[in-house]
Amino acid sequence: MSAACPPQSPAVAKTEVAMEGWCPLLAATFAYWDNILGPRVRHIWAPKGQGSMLLSDGEVTFLANHTLNGEILRSAESGAVDVKFFVLAEKGVIIVSLIFDGELKGDKNTCALSIILPQSELNFYLPLHSVCVERLKHIVRKGRICMQKGYSIIAMLTSEIVPIMELLSSMKTHSVPEEVDIKDTLLNDDDIGDSCHEDFLHKAISSHLQTCGCSIVVGSNPEKVNKIVLTLSLFLTPTERKCSRLCRADGSFKYDTGLFVQGLLKDSTGSFVLPYRQVLYSPYPTTHIDVDINTVKQMPPCHEHMYHQRRYMRSELSALWKAASEDNISPDNLINSQDSFTPDLNIFQDVMHKDTLVKSFIYEVFLLKPGLSLRSVYLSHFLLLLHRKALTLLRYIEDETQKGKKPFRSLRNLKTDLDLTVEGDLNIVMAMAEKLRAGLHYFVFGKPFFTSVQERDLLMSF
Amino acid sequence: MIGSPDVVALTKDDDFGDSYQDPCLLPEEFSVPLFPHATNANPWTKTSYAKFSKDFILISEFSEQVGPQPLLTIPDDPKVCGTFDLNYFSLRIMSVDYQASFVGHPPGSSYPKLNFVEDSKVVLGDSKEGAFAYVHHLTLYDLEARGFVRPFCMAYISADERKIMQQFQQLSSGFSKASECLKSGNRKAFANELEKKLKDLEYTRSVLHKETEMQKINTGCYSTQVIEKANELANVEKSIYEHRDLLRQITSYPNKKGRDAHINDHDHVQIEPEKPIDSNMLDNTTLTSNHSSNGRDKSSTDTDTSPQKPSSYTPQLIKAKSAKCFDKRLKTLEELCDSAFFHQTLDQLNVIEKMFRGDLCFIYTSQIDRGLSIKQKITSFLFEEERDWEEEGGGSRNLYEANHTTRIAPPLISQISTLSGEPMSLDSYVTCVEIGHNKLEIESLEGPPESSTSDITQETSEDAVDTETKGSFSSDRSIEALGNVSPANPDGFGRRSTNEACTVTSSEEQEVTSYSGAPERDADMSTADVFEADNLVQIDTACCMGQDGFIYEEPLPEPLQPCCDDTVVKQEPLSLLHRDPPLQVDYVFGESSQTVVGTSVGLMLPELNINALSDDMVRMNVEDASDTTSYMSMSTSSDRAASPFTYGIPITVKQKKKAGHSALRFIRQYPFAQQAIYCLLSGRTLVVLGSEEGTVRKLVNALLIFVPNIGKYGETVQPWLSSSFQLTDLQRWKLIGLQRVASPAGSSMLHSLSRYSRYIGILDCDNKTLRCPPYKGTLINQMADHRTQIKRGSTYYLHVQSMLTQLTAKAFLYTFCHHVHLPITADDRGSVTSRRTNFLLQLGYTEEESKIIQFLSELVKHHFLQGPLKGLGQALFSYSYSTSYLYKI
Repeated sequence: MSAACPPQSPAVAKTEVAMEGWCPLLAATFAYWDNILGPRVRHIWAPKGQGSMLLSDGEVTFLANHTLNGEILRSAESGAVDVKFFVLAEKGVIIVSLIFDGELKGDKNTCALSIILPQSELNFYLPLHSVCVERLKHIVRKGRICMQKGYSIIAMLTSEIVPIMELLSSMKTHSVPEEVDIKDTLLNDDDIGDSCHEDFLHKAISSHLQTCGCSIVVGSNPEKVNKIVLTLSLFLTPTERKCSRLCRADGSFKYDTGLFVQGLLKDSTGSFVLPYRQVLYSPYPTTHIDVDINTVKQMPPCHEHMYHQRRYMRSELSALWKAASEDNISPDNLINSQDSFTPDLNIFQDVMHKDTLVKSFIYEVFLLKPGLSLRSVYLSHFLLLLHRKALTLLRYIEDETQKGKKPFRSLRNLKTDLDLTVEGDLNIVMAMAEKLRAGLHYFVFGKPFFTSVQERDLLMSF
Repeated sequence: MIGSPDVVALTKDDDFGDSYQDPCLLPEEFSVPLFPHATNANPWTKTSYAKFSKDFILISEFSEQVGPQPLLTIPDDPKVCGTFDLNYFSLRIMSVDYQASFVGHPPGSSYPKLNFVEDSKVVLGDSKEGAFAYVHHLTLYDLEARGFVRPFCMAYISADERKIMQQFQQLSSGFSKASECLKSGNRKAFANELEKKLKDLEYTRSVLHKETEMQKINTGCYSTQVIEKANELANVEKSIYEHRDLLRQITSYPNKKGRDAHINDHDHVQIEPEKPIDSNMLDNTTLTSNHSSNGRDKSSTDTDTSPQKPSSYTPQLIKAKSAKCFDKRLKTLEELCDSAFFHQTLDQLNVIEKMFRGDLCFIYTSQIDRGLSIKQKITSFLFEEERDWEEEGGGSRNLYEANHTTRIAPPLISQISTLSGEPMSLDSYVTCVEIGHNKLEIESLEGPPESSTSDITQETSEDAVDTETKGSFSSDRSIEALGNVSPANPDGFGRRSTNEACTVTSSEEQEVTSYSGAPERDADMSTADVFEADNLVQIDTACCMGQDGFIYEEPLPEPLQPCCDDTVVKQEPLSLLHRDPPLQVDYVFGESSQTVVGTSVGLMLPELNINALSDDMVRMNVEDASDTTSYMSMSTSSDRAASPFTYGIPITVKQKKKAGHSALRFIRQYPFAQQAIYCLLSGRTLVVLGSEEGTVRKLVNALLIFVPNIGKYGETVQPWLSSSFQLTDLQRWKLIGLQRVASPAGSSMLHSLSRYSRYIGILDCDNKTLRCPPYKGTLINQMADHRTQIKRGSTYYLHVQSMLTQLTAKAFLYTFCHHVHLPITADDRGSVTSRRTNFLLQLGYTEEESKIIQFLSELVKHHFLQGPLKGLGQALFSYSYSTSYLYKI
């Protein structure tokens, strides 16, 4: 234990991270509440060579200490990770802190993992808040196990903080603009099928909407990829667009969990490696679009996706718990240590359900003259329709179940009453509703799915 | 074979599993639940374990005497907070001073220095309590407080963590405004306090000085008393310097400000960005508060923090040293901030509370809604709530007119870009919410807009109109005469009079003839007679009980060959001719065709350019001019300018949601609801006839959500009319509640009903019948299926709203699909109409549904070209010569 927690020195340990571009993150800190000394900063991560934008270590320490102030009153359940968000105008910074309990030196301590950004980046950061928080939350879960086992948490945290720095840096330069000009998209073609096959476009948009607006677009031609990225982004809200990324012409980005649409470039051999774990950890299922071969594949719907995700997370945490030594806790070692990590190669499947909503929209929008605002206005009608249908569906289920007090048993009536008899249409509207009310898929479809999974598992165990 | 229940039963853990804990197993506190929602949880339960019933705002203070304490909540209702421990939560949110404000003697300065700290914003939560908060920290000045500062915070507390973060910027903006309001009032109050204190000190100094002099004179030497007095005097002197310096600092505040751009807007004391300050309040707020006097000086409107001269303050002798911390009573927040500012802040906080009240999905969707609606100005008037931006003036129209002056066929892009408004993009949600903010404030703080006199008189006066005079038109020139000669419709519609109007098919002709040929007889007929004269379609009430559909006693005749709207509208208004080249071509070449397509007749009321009309057209207008003049003069004197519906208060989505309840009941009770809705959507005025006002009003209320272009104040709906109506009324009222009376006036009313029965649908709520043209199709069935399982009116309204959105989109598509309306060659006129028909058929619409789209499209065109329809109501009149049928339950 003592090896894991060496005596405090006046200088706080610091990791400087070399960044390719400018990183809006000023620093990340790990602090804990020392029962004798009060809040203490244990580690600082800072981007390297960012000029005068960086805070001094003293300032970072001062801010990090403040994130723990008041947490002496914390009465959260064990294992809970609470998020605090500060906008300190006096200091000109915003701080995001994840507060959790962890074992240090044999004592339970309140800890804080924080990231610090300049206040001027508030508008840039807010749409990405949940992406960062969800990723940091998971690394905190893993970090807590490390602390419990007496391993160093710093290496574990570094494995996620550096990618988050890279994510923020890439979003600074390549995020999809809040307003997408329809002229930059496929919807500006003179006629349907000019740039890509009609069926491909239909399938791509339909699947994109069925997977809650979450898609990855891969290809060899960055212009082609970005055109599809922008086309799909038309169907997102402005906030979601700020959480989407274009592909980089000179060298591809890595896949980043949590973005809505991201363009990724294949390497010189024409292949692209998609990290199974990270795709699975995305909050929503993902559509995979390959613009080279015009294929569209999608992950199973939200309730199944969530189930697979949770199962994988539990397996990962469990493997970490069982890891014999600190050397065995690298992701690669963890993956090899358990059978349950074997990726399901069929995670992306063909788009099974056809819809009428997107089909008719695409047919109709191309009837309008291109180059004008007509198509843009028509698109806004379509989006408004989807949002309203989603809200109606949500209210319908609320009414039927008395806000979840009763199980939902009238899917057939819902389809008839709300004109969602076509399966693809239902999937699209359900996906929109899921974004409004997380867990809706599980509530509506979860029980039968879980029962079938239990049956399958049990039968396989015989 | 093993069935699933058998297998699932085996999945239960046995007792052994419960007792044995494998050390290699990951403890639950380090894991994640396999299902995000446990057995009894559901997507709605995340708010269920909070100890308060709904979101509220809490103002807390870090008191130097008792520590963190809650001061007040908004709403001020103990039930809202429930058993939630406000003291504990105040302690939690006030436990850190993130502002690090500094007041004291900075190094190198002999006087205390005020530090104008900027507000801090913190989002935090207590996952165990299920409470999450946006906390806005601010510091107020108090001369008697330790270090002159009093830390406060305002917190928006919700059980939904996502709501706080998703609405962070809106919350931050709202609370910043409220905070600036408080701080402005505080600076003013603080300056006043300093001013008074200085007066007291100066007075004390003069008294002490006199006393010292007296003692010196009396004793002649520096006695102990004299020395004490001298020390006291020195302390007072020092205190005066300090207070003068503080006063200087506080009055120089506006030059010191800060970083947030939006805060700069509120640098001055008069902070009411959204609500105009009531004149009395303004007077109050801009004046010096005077503790010794209730009267307030109205001499200044300057809003600077510089203190005004207290006119009647009597200085007092004070001690140089202030009382001990615990001996004094701390000022209340209201005293600290000047009452007017305090109440203004509370108003703002109330607005914030209302704005963010309720479920996040609704708040979020309404924000998206607003953002998307901005792009749809061209069509949003059809079924959407009229928004503020629509009132900002016909920007699109003016811009469009600029195009028009060039007389060069402009590409549609310029027109459309103007029609859809410059902010074609989705506004940021901040903007959206600020719009909502404004709106809320207006709604909550202002009274209802003044309703026009006519609104009230129409509702209250029994019958200000001489119905006999108004009814003096003979039916055979009713609609045509109106159409041709109305000054509001200078174009008229076509060369044909009634008798030549629709001569396309024999059946239609027959019907037209029968109607036009027997107006006098009709006038004497009772309503029942009128109905009985029609084809009767009796509907089995049993179908309302869950059967498959309506049962028609006799088969409906084949739909008439499409009636001749295009042949009736001989000439498109010049405005349209000039302004919309694609459409212009359409009308110029298409309308003179003898081919009859479509049934709705678009009557463009606005300006006429006689030169553009054909000779026949001009002649028609001249011939009928006298009729129109007399008619219109009567009409305008009848005080029927606008509908009294809702007494001039804008119809809101909330009202429409309530109407959804009545609508749901209506479609369940009346199997012919679809036909009634069809009337409304296709522009045919629907008259709800009944003897009981309550019943009629309820039905009108139920149907109003289906009325296109209902108007901001519901101008196109007349919920209760006790006199007969005229043809012009059909232009502005699309839904009329009509009183059935047995008196002689009643016969006149029935007379008008029978006279205009060609143009209206009549829903008799006493006899439970409907007389209107038939409807075939699936569109309205999806909208108004009497077997629907939708349980709540508000949900039904949402469903209708989304269906109407779809319909609006199709109308937009139809209107602006220029290739549908453009002739390919000069001789291609006939094909345009068939192309239109085919276009709508391709979209999957039946003939009746096509009429709906065409009517909506006419409205869109008219709105686009002429601007919003205001004043005398609907300028577009649609009628059809389709056979009407009588539907019974």
